[in-house]
Amino acid sequence: MNTALSRLNTIFAFTLSVMAGLTFLCFLSTFFNEHKADVAINTGKVIVKNVPDYSAGREKNDLGFVVFDLQTDILFLDCPWLLTTFLPQGIFNWNVKQLFLYLFAEYETEDHKLNQVVIWDKIIKRGENSVLDYKKANTKYYFWDFGNGLRSNKNVTLSLSWNVIPNAGTLPKIQGVGQHKIEFPSEYSPNRFQ
Amino acid sequence: MLVISNPRDNLLPERKTCTYSLTNMDIKAYLPEAIKKIPTHMDFVGQKKAEKMFQMIIISFAVVGFIWGYICQQFSQTMYILITGFVISCLLTLPPWSMFRKNPLSWQKARPEAEEIGSTTTSASAQKSKKKK
Repeated sequence: MNTALSRLNTIFAFTLSVMAGLTFLCFLSTFFNEHKADVAINTGKVIVKNVPDYSAGREKNDLGFVVFDLQTDILFLDCPWLLTTFLPQGIFNWNVKQLFLYLFAEYETEDHKLNQVVIWDKIIKRGENSVLDYKKANTKYYFWDFGNGLRSNKNVTLSLSWNVIPNAGTLPKIQGVGQHKIEFPSEYSPNRFQ
Repeated sequence: MLVISNPRDNLLPERKTCTYSLTNMDIKAYLPEAIKKIPTHMDFVGQKKAEKMFQMIIISFAVVGFIWGYICQQFSQTMYILITGFVISCLLTLPPWSMFRKNPLSWQKARPEAEEIGSTTTSASAQKSKKKK
């Protein structure tokens, strides 16, 4: 501490340690948050085709086509653990960098017990508009099945989940409250999807 | 890190070269002469005061920054306030202000050339100290 350089070294190291402590406190302050929100999903036309998936071999697999509606408002919610503070903590608190939302379909077939296919996703950064209102939206990704399990499948559930990406801490995956069941027709559609 | 300068240097503790710290020797070889001559020492009471001062400043800025960041829900504000505290504490403790030099060490008077039996100087260094005088 007798030279300016060693003083600078000490001050800098102390500042970095304090910074690490503050980050840990920030993580602790949002550790018990629940990130649930309500979601409304609806679907329009639903068809299934049986076509070869050229990226995975020559046999014919089921390909589903879904048009969906999606409404949700993820910004504010009641967090019962923090009723004592004067600020309601929404999903977007100071420890959240962005949300990664994904819409996935979950169903069971004869070949496989649990299938989950992500058909649409979106990244919402903090500060962006988080009110979603999609009507008759197309999916982003193909709804392939391994095999022929989509035809006349009466129990395919669409749900929206999000992955919370924090500034400091764990990355939980939370499922939205509100799912939608779709039923695939029992015959393949030969037409183009319009 | 306690540093005890050689009491045989009966000068003020402004040293031209640092022989005990490797880092200082590496960096100071590249600095121009004008910067090397700027004194940066503090006495021990001053060093303790400086250490307490910067710890208090940084911790208080950290607490204020945390509370303000929680209020406006932006962690970047906390970081900015903490960095402001770092800069302020650097300004207050890096340069050797006179408040850190209030308790200078009282060196003993320089000894004349070693003629007693108890001295451990060799004839070469005895000649050197003769030259310095």
